[in-house]
Amino acid sequence: MTDAAMEISGVTRNDRFTRGSKLVDALSKAGLAFAILAVMAYGSLVSPAFFTSGNLLNVLTSMSIVGIVVVGMTFVLVVGGLADLSVPATIACGAILSLGLQPMIGPLPAFVLAVGLAGLIGLINGVLVGYVGINPIIATLGIGTIGLGIVQAAVGGVIVYGSNPASAEFAKGRLFGIPVVVLIFLAIALIGHFVLSRSFWGRWTLATGGNYSAAEASAVPVQAVKAGAFVITALASGISGGLLGLTLQSARPLIGAGYEFSAITAVVVGGVSIIGGFGSVPRAIAGLIFVQLLTNVMVLDGVRTPIQGFVLGILIVGAVGMDAALRKRGVA
Amino acid sequence: MTAAANCALDMRGISKTFPGVKALSNVNFAVRFGTVHAVVGENGAGKSTLMKVLNGSYAPTSGTIKVGGAEVRMRRPADAQALGIRMVHQEINLVPDLTVAENVYLGRMPGKWSWLRKGEMVSKAAAVLDELGAEINPRERLGNLSISQQQLVEIAKAYAAQPRIIVLDEPTSSLSEHETAALFRILRKMRDDGIAIIYISHRLKEVLEIADEVTVLRDGSMIETRPIEGITAAQMIRLMVGREVSNVFPKSPAEIGKSVLRVERISDGARFRDVSFDVRAGEILGLTGLVGAGRTEVARAIFGLSRLAEGTVSVNGRKVSIKSPSQAVKAGIAYVPEDRKGDGIVPGMSIRENISLPILRRLSRLGRIRRSADRALAADYVKQFSISPPDGERRINLLSGGNQQKAVIAKWLAARPSALILDEPTRGVDVGAKAEIHNIIGQLVASGMAVVMISSELPEILGVCDRVVVMRDGHACEPLQRAELSEERIMALATGEEMA
Repeated sequence: MTDAAMEISGVTRNDRFTRGSKLVDALSKAGLAFAILAVMAYGSLVSPAFFTSGNLLNVLTSMSIVGIVVVGMTFVLVVGGLADLSVPATIACGAILSLGLQPMIGPLPAFVLAVGLAGLIGLINGVLVGYVGINPIIATLGIGTIGLGIVQAAVGGVIVYGSNPASAEFAKGRLFGIPVVVLIFLAIALIGHFVLSRSFWGRWTLATGGNYSAAEASAVPVQAVKAGAFVITALASGISGGLLGLTLQSARPLIGAGYEFSAITAVVVGGVSIIGGFGSVPRAIAGLIFVQLLTNVMVLDGVRTPIQGFVLGILIVGAVGMDAALRKRGVA
Repeated sequence: MTAAANCALDMRGISKTFPGVKALSNVNFAVRFGTVHAVVGENGAGKSTLMKVLNGSYAPTSGTIKVGGAEVRMRRPADAQALGIRMVHQEINLVPDLTVAENVYLGRMPGKWSWLRKGEMVSKAAAVLDELGAEINPRERLGNLSISQQQLVEIAKAYAAQPRIIVLDEPTSSLSEHETAALFRILRKMRDDGIAIIYISHRLKEVLEIADEVTVLRDGSMIETRPIEGITAAQMIRLMVGREVSNVFPKSPAEIGKSVLRVERISDGARFRDVSFDVRAGEILGLTGLVGAGRTEVARAIFGLSRLAEGTVSVNGRKVSIKSPSQAVKAGIAYVPEDRKGDGIVPGMSIRENISLPILRRLSRLGRIRRSADRALAADYVKQFSISPPDGERRINLLSGGNQQKAVIAKWLAARPSALILDEPTRGVDVGAKAEIHNIIGQLVASGMAVVMISSELPEILGVCDRVVVMRDGHACEPLQRAELSEERIMALATGEEMA
């Protein structure tokens, strides 16, 4: 009898909890959508240039290059891998090699090889983090620095230029009025979303980030899953770098500098947990849209660069603080 | 000296209720200054809960506490420390990268609001260590000391705070005989200084040697407090276990078949050696012993969560080499871990996502998880085990402990193992859920599964198991047949005390 009573009180308590978490969940999702709308409204008020198709297309194109990296970075954060700081190196690898190898093997093989080598950097990161157990920040920083050094040495530290106009045409071109780069980003985002939310690999990724020991004890190959997140990010950055190189038709070794932080900012602002176990690609992309639009509006509004950095910093700290607070309440 | 003035601690009518569990019920416990007072009892008898009440970690549901004759109310460990109560825990709670002296004065370093007076701290620590007769250099980095020396530093830290009451929880678990003798010299010295010492131990021989009085706890109640003169180890064991074994554990008679899981002379090179046993289809083999005897380590090694140094494991007559849990699952072994929160559940995921985790690949086609199969699997087990609330989409951490455990067991049944190892499957679940879990285990063996059940709870072991292996200090005894099982026999094997 007492058991039955306990059972009942347990159920009602659960209901209240679940309702609470659904409310917070909905709020956090809608909150970001609301923030995006607010930025757009503000943007159209302060600058007549904001709501022009040229400006929005510009934002969309530059967003796509970072966006491909964001898709990969989402996996790294969700799996509990903190962050991948080797992104500048893998982007440089993708950009420099896909341009530099063009004369030798043609544009498409060059692109594929560039992405493959970027993936190799990711594999080294993954083995160090997943199997050896080195802190991800240290491992990716170290491997990124080494990788960048090798790429720089290979091209002699100079700028590499494209030599195949057709490939440049393709990368800068449009399909049904939409830039090709944007379409590629959307395709990668869809694949990333599918893998994370529908495939067994994605479920394993979420489980590994949610409770590493429990996932391990549930026969999840946790080491491979953790390593895989870094390979995915490196492949994504390689593609991103290749597209960037083809669009610009020139690549210098520091071409990818800053992309790692843009990607991390977007993912964190999107509400993906920095400790792992929670998050999705659409969330991360919503974070990306918000940050990109906000930056664009600030530029159009003539906000000075230091202030821009200040605003983005507050956003990151706020988002991480929110994540911590929600976790404490057992909601996120 | 009046009795009241001599009374270091007087706890009266202490009860502590957790949701669904009455951990302490109306416990009276009094300790005098200048005595060593031992507290003994089985795992789960309430010793650690009582000590947590004493050090302010738990507020009692009812009852009063007097320290040195004055009634007190403690809300946090700092309150207990301010009253002169110090705990020395079984596991070492020190900072390995600091020096011995820094550890001894951690949190109370001399020279508050000024530069740290390092010389003063070192000389004070040296004096304390010297007084305790411990030959340890206070300037040494703590991490360079052996575990037993670290244990002494822990005691020195408590002693340096000039406490009135010291609680030692299994202080000898990592000490050799020689070091234990040294510890006892220190304890006698502290006792002669007038400190009240509460000594918790499973080692009854040591209790007989050092204690002046002993209190026996059982099932959250105080059974008896006696002077140590005139009591024997056998009497203590009887007091610790002395309940009627009621038939609350329905043992479903299952056909016992051929050997399914056999381990031979396995060792991990550190925490267990030469362990052999086998489990047959339809049989429940109990694995018991005191906490720390190596039971969980054996299970984790068989399941591939840690490495075996020696020995062989075979399943259905075939030798298997298991280096990871997924290999164990392929071999047909499943393991429900002891630490449900830490190793059992992924808290942010739903019941459904938790249950299908080990067999996701089987549920997937071209990498995509088949939603209908995933849902159906969870729905089946939710119904079969009457998991409450009956909603597979519920986040697992919002369930009660018993329902979480049922989901964790379901997770492993989905993998269709031939041998299932359950590590403390009913710890921390309420009585109703406990019976349900026992029922589930009964159904499993009836269907021909071989089950190893690790449990510290003797009535459960006696009620459920067909044969029992008792472990002590990393060694396993020959399996006891059901006919030779008694709580006294198991406790004697577990503690290494021969029955008088």
